[in-house]
Amino acid sequence: MQIIRVLPKDLVLPVHQGDTILAALLRGGLSYLYGCRRGGCGVCKADLITGQVSYPAAVSETVLSPEERADRVVLTCRAVPGTDCTVQLRSQVRVAVPFLFDIAQHELVGHHDDQEGVD
Amino acid sequence: MPVMRLGYVHVRVTDLDAAINHYSNTLGMKIMHQEGGTVYLKSWDEHDHHSVIIEEGGVGLVKLGYKVTSSDDLAVFEKRIQQFGATSERMSAGENLKTGDGLRVVLPSDHVIELYTDMEYVGTETGTLNPDPWPRDQRGAAVHRLDHALVAAEDPALVERFFYDCLDFRPAERLITDPAQPELIGTWMFCGQTPHDIAVIKGPNGKLHHFAYWLEDWNEVLKAGDVFAMDDVSVDVGPTRHGITRGKTIYFFDPSGNRNEVFTGGYQTGPDFATITWTADQTGKGIFYIGRTLNEAFTTVFT
Repeated sequence: MQIIRVLPKDLVLPVHQGDTILAALLRGGLSYLYGCRRGGCGVCKADLITGQVSYPAAVSETVLSPEERADRVVLTCRAVPGTDCTVQLRSQVRVAVPFLFDIAQHELVGHHDDQEGVD
Repeated sequence: MPVMRLGYVHVRVTDLDAAINHYSNTLGMKIMHQEGGTVYLKSWDEHDHHSVIIEEGGVGLVKLGYKVTSSDDLAVFEKRIQQFGATSERMSAGENLKTGDGLRVVLPSDHVIELYTDMEYVGTETGTLNPDPWPRDQRGAAVHRLDHALVAAEDPALVERFFYDCLDFRPAERLITDPAQPELIGTWMFCGQTPHDIAVIKGPNGKLHHFAYWLEDWNEVLKAGDVFAMDDVSVDVGPTRHGITRGKTIYFFDPSGNRNEVFTGGYQTGPDFATITWTADQTGKGIFYIGRTLNEAFTTVFT
């Protein structure tokens, strides 16, 4: 399982297989400013600090330009983490659904235990 | 004669297959023609060949088509558009699939609209002889027809003046800053007898806010919402009611992020309709009457 670190709040969440960054954050009970959730508007853009993402769905260059991609700007509703990632959101982020956030934190505890078991 | 109606909307989509699935299976439109990366679709209660054109590559509005009654009208509109100072050019029959002669106009807001006199007649799916009220093989939300479009403009008043002066549209409702010093934020204009055939709201030039389909009633709007949940459609707002136009609505996004709407209700307009005014402090209620709050997406998401 991969993890995503969300700045500026420094919250850590698990990323399930195939989840976009937006999906991982919503699954983890967070909320921030996003728009169409389909890659059309660019409202949910963020900055990728570490890690790699891919785009299984087509994204228009009018929404995310090649220059932005080179600058590690990501479209969070379409970007799927391929590694552990750290992402800096551009809007305020908050824990909107505490019980989902708690479940995600429990998953991370299990994840860390597994890692220790492997070691 | 006045302009008849919004006849077609042409939009770009990033993923053609996903868009075909959305417009045909989720919304229930029929695929009329496909040519390379461009697909032409029609709703069941429309009689012209197509009303929505989706083209692969990018996202957002390519153009809107408004049907006019005759070549004489077209000539009158052309003259007024030239006097207004907007750019226009003649287009000939066949330049657009199954579409007759027309005039292509660039609005002061950079949007392209096409005025055309004819499109190949196909007929509704229920026909014109002793028709049933709806076809038995409906799919998804089973949208009846295209209804209106809302576009963004840096200067809504200028675009309102274009539609008023050149095409005889009239404002059913206007959203202004303050009655003492009125600056136009949005205008909902009609050419037929519905509350709006075009609407313009303050925002980036050339952009689309949404285009809307007609449904019969509130029950059909709710059922459309159920279909959107089943098909994992990204829903923006609703089901709810608009204060402006009195319509009942769901805003949602196609798989590329273009905003669509299913719409019903409203009231009857006409040449003697008295324009309704909304003030900016009541915008929340005007746009979403029940929740009375604008969601941030309403004013930030354009394609």
